[in-house]
Amino acid sequence: MKRLFFIGLFALLVVMTIFVWSKSYYTSQEEAYVALEPETENAILTEEHGVFRRSKFANDYTDMNTDFKGGRKLNDYYKNRAFHGAPPSIPHPIAEDGVVGEKACLKCHENGGYVSKFKAFAPVAPHPEKVNCRQCHVTVNTSGTFVGDNGPRFTRPAVGNAAFVGGPPIIPHQIQLHENCLACHAGPAAPQEIRVSHPERSNCRQCHVLNNKSMTDIGNFSR
Amino acid sequence: MAQKKIDRRSFVKKMAAAAAMTAAATMFPGIVFASEQEQGIPSGNLDWKKGPCRFCGVGCGILVGVDNGKAVAVKGDPNSSVNKGLLCVKGYHQTMCIQAKDRLEYALVKKNGKYVKTPLSEALDLVASKMKSTIEAHGKDSVAMYTSGQSTIPEGYVASKLMKGAIGTNNLDCNARLCMASAVAGFLTTFGADEPMGCYEDIDYADYFITWGNNMAEMHPVLFSRMLEQKNNRGAKIIDFATRTTRSSMASNKSILFEPQTDLAVANAICYEIINNGWMNKKFVDEHTNFLKGKTNIGYGLEDNFKFKDKATKISFEDFKVFLEDYTPEKVAKYSKVSVKDIKYLAAIYGDPNKKVVSYWCMGMNQHTRGTWMNNLVYNIHLLTGKISEPGNGPFSLTGQPSACGTAREVGTFTHKLPKGVVMNEKHRKLAAKIWKVPYENIPSKPTYHATEMFRAVDRGDIKFIWTQVTNPLVSLPKTSRYRPAMEKESCFVVVSDVFPTPTSDVADVILPAKWHIEKGGLYGNSERRTQYWQTMVEGPGETEADAWMTIEVAKRMGYGDLFPYTKEGHVEEIYNEYRQFHEGKKHGMAPLEVLEKESGAIWPFVDGKSTQWRFNAAHDPACDNGKDFHFYGKPDGKAVIWQRPFEPAPEVPDGEYPFWLNTGRVIEHWHTGSMTRRIPVLHKAMPQAYVEFHPEDAKEMGIRNGENVKVVSRRGSCVLPASINERGLPTRGQVFVPFFDENMMINDVTIDAFCPISKEPDYKKCAVKIEKV
Amino acid sequence: MPIKSYILHPLKGQKELLISDLKGFTECEVIPAQNHEVVILVTDTSSEIADTNLFNKLNELKNLKHMSLVSGFEDK
Repeated sequence: MKRLFFIGLFALLVVMTIFVWSKSYYTSQEEAYVALEPETENAILTEEHGVFRRSKFANDYTDMNTDFKGGRKLNDYYKNRAFHGAPPSIPHPIAEDGVVGEKACLKCHENGGYVSKFKAFAPVAPHPEKVNCRQCHVTVNTSGTFVGDNGPRFTRPAVGNAAFVGGPPIIPHQIQLHENCLACHAGPAAPQEIRVSHPERSNCRQCHVLNNKSMTDIGNFSR
Repeated sequence: MAQKKIDRRSFVKKMAAAAAMTAAATMFPGIVFASEQEQGIPSGNLDWKKGPCRFCGVGCGILVGVDNGKAVAVKGDPNSSVNKGLLCVKGYHQTMCIQAKDRLEYALVKKNGKYVKTPLSEALDLVASKMKSTIEAHGKDSVAMYTSGQSTIPEGYVASKLMKGAIGTNNLDCNARLCMASAVAGFLTTFGADEPMGCYEDIDYADYFITWGNNMAEMHPVLFSRMLEQKNNRGAKIIDFATRTTRSSMASNKSILFEPQTDLAVANAICYEIINNGWMNKKFVDEHTNFLKGKTNIGYGLEDNFKFKDKATKISFEDFKVFLEDYTPEKVAKYSKVSVKDIKYLAAIYGDPNKKVVSYWCMGMNQHTRGTWMNNLVYNIHLLTGKISEPGNGPFSLTGQPSACGTAREVGTFTHKLPKGVVMNEKHRKLAAKIWKVPYENIPSKPTYHATEMFRAVDRGDIKFIWTQVTNPLVSLPKTSRYRPAMEKESCFVVVSDVFPTPTSDVADVILPAKWHIEKGGLYGNSERRTQYWQTMVEGPGETEADAWMTIEVAKRMGYGDLFPYTKEGHVEEIYNEYRQFHEGKKHGMAPLEVLEKESGAIWPFVDGKSTQWRFNAAHDPACDNGKDFHFYGKPDGKAVIWQRPFEPAPEVPDGEYPFWLNTGRVIEHWHTGSMTRRIPVLHKAMPQAYVEFHPEDAKEMGIRNGENVKVVSRRGSCVLPASINERGLPTRGQVFVPFFDENMMINDVTIDAFCPISKEPDYKKCAVKIEKV
Repeated sequence: MPIKSYILHPLKGQKELLISDLKGFTECEVIPAQNHEVVILVTDTSSEIADTNLFNKLNELKNLKHMSLVSGFEDK
């Protein structure tokens, strides 16, 4: 009896060892998967949703120390953009060229942060749900031109265009793909001239409206 | 405009101060630091004058910067506990409308089909003589006045005194009938006393904000910003319960959509859950409430001369429980399109005794053919759980207009109301006769026409003279396709007082040029019972005159001068002091002018130098005198009423021929009919014209693209509008939404003039339409 | 040149006295709360040493119950 018991016990142990070991082996073969934030491409009401996107960090923005060296200015902002609304070119060398967007870029550009290698704060992407970054944002690989051009001049949106002193400035630019105000107007990567004094107020479009809903200037109201 | 450049050091100091203020705000909710905000403002030579905002029912305090007699800037009043220095885009730019080119500066009288510029005194002579001759020929009830929830307290008061005290007719109603009547009827049937029992400070204490069919981010933006601040600082949650996805839904923690009209059923289902799960506050219900039921199948007011009077029957709590068996979440989920899980989620929020909940609502519940019932039902939820009249806990009926509370409801510019009480009550008539110094018999005891019936009476020819002030009914009434031809008829002499030309002034026989907000002094009362006072800040152009003074001048010409012994310079203050007498006492005492001048408004009841912020709660309200912890003194037995109200369908639901629900409403950029805000360039350019919102799949099925013109057609009229898909708001499938600010795209030609039989408030949110391509 | 902000709690009922004491310091900006016994102080000093001196002097004020530092910025 005792012998049977011990044989049974060892058999059980062997079976369990094989079971546990093979389970562990197969689990280790599974691909690691980091779920992306569930933003869909067909988001509804992008203009309305975008305004509130980073508002959960509103208090963090208010407490942020933006008094430091190396903040961007509007000139720096426009250095890698053809015009306001154009996708900025990538000003820094990229590690892996074959990667298509997603976490490769978003790991720095989703929430920003200081990058000591480039001695700058990473700008926050206002549209992180668009994951195919390199579709629009390209690197700069040469400084000359193929054939010279007459240098098109684009006017920049005006800063500080409130209707009266102390009034809320009107949004001077189109907001398509920049619905998320805080991404560019608050935080250490924000160009100093447009940094906002009240990032804790989440409902930006309560006071700041667009005036460019129509393609051409519609003038004033008349009956 | 010169923009003062802030140097870096002062910027940093402001950041430091701001950080400290934020930290202090988390430690002390409701803390106010006024001087910091005042320091940051470039003052130059500006004179800053205080007053309330011209627009919505939030009633923000504003400071208008006046330079050389012109208003050149507006900022929020940092001393006002309502908005604490913040405004919204309309508030900031409000004074810019008075610079519009087509401002009415002179009286215009229609002669031979053309408007002739007339000296104001002559025009007023004509108005007075026409009013007098119409009364002589056709009787007192052939003349009418239609005022506004945007009229100041003095304006409403003299209109009421003239019509009810001097002439002796109850033909006085106002546009607040179209926005707050159901809320008023809800308050009176449940509590016996009008106006919310809480105040805005509830925002600083509540854990949950539940909005019922309203879009606060656009319609009460400053309050919504306060809620968002609590969401960020304290983790408060905002639940958006509506028929359509809006900006508010985007900012809320959770958005729950329901089928139009089924809010009645869902509210009952929440009551069912509360009772069945044992979340009812039994002690509160036993001590402080009665159960009643009213009539059912009460109609929709579609016929002329529709009459309805409710009858209350006492029921027991057991009867109420049996009634609620029809409203289990499983049954209600079937037709309301709200899942059982969501109904239980809402009920659990209300039922949790440790969570403070504030319910906010506005037009979704009020502009409803069962609006009174809907208000009763939300009060039921708060009464069953005892979550009422406490900081952070309570139902809060938001007002739409800046003084629908202060003027329309408190002064009583309705057909059945007096400054205190109702015309049907002998005691109230005696009090009015005493203060107005008129014979008691002058004041008629039977109400005549509410707003919709008043314009129906114009159509039938029963009203032959109508004077509208501070309102634009030919854009804001429902079914304007009937009422515009009615006002154009020869049988009715139309006098319109306004600041700008509107579709209403287009049909007027006499147009009187009114002063705008800051050009006349006055008083407004906002949603939280706060009365605010302002004095004239700039002069009005041309021959413009304050509406109250024009009413007084007409009254004098009609021979009632001795009843209106006010001076031109001081009439605002004199009228207010006379009016205050009506409300003396702990239940409704109004603050004296000295207090209103110094402070940024005062909440009534103003008792012994203090505002009563939470009414009916003995700990906060000195008017409670029955020795219990809650005293609903509006009712004779001190108990509030839990009303048994069923679900009844809307009068016109989508069918095969007209398959879409039509919902109408507003946008943040424009105020109501747009006569002021469209003349402000910043706002006009932000929202140039109206549109019709579609769900993307509906649009795809019909082959409609964004911006394409389509025709919205109902059984009553049609309207051509550009389509808007996925821009400002997202209706559900089978629903369209149109904002009503555009007088060139008159969506009210399409809406239905059905109303709640108890409150007589029309339902602008539900009718059936079809879409045609143009 | 440090810029710092503090929340100050005066002893009960001594808010006004505290404010008048604070006004005596040139490097201080005082922002009293309207409806609570709380005062915000923003200090702007020329050097770290001056800042430490000011901090010590503030701590000795007799109507001050408690002082908490909220934020500090170093302007190099």
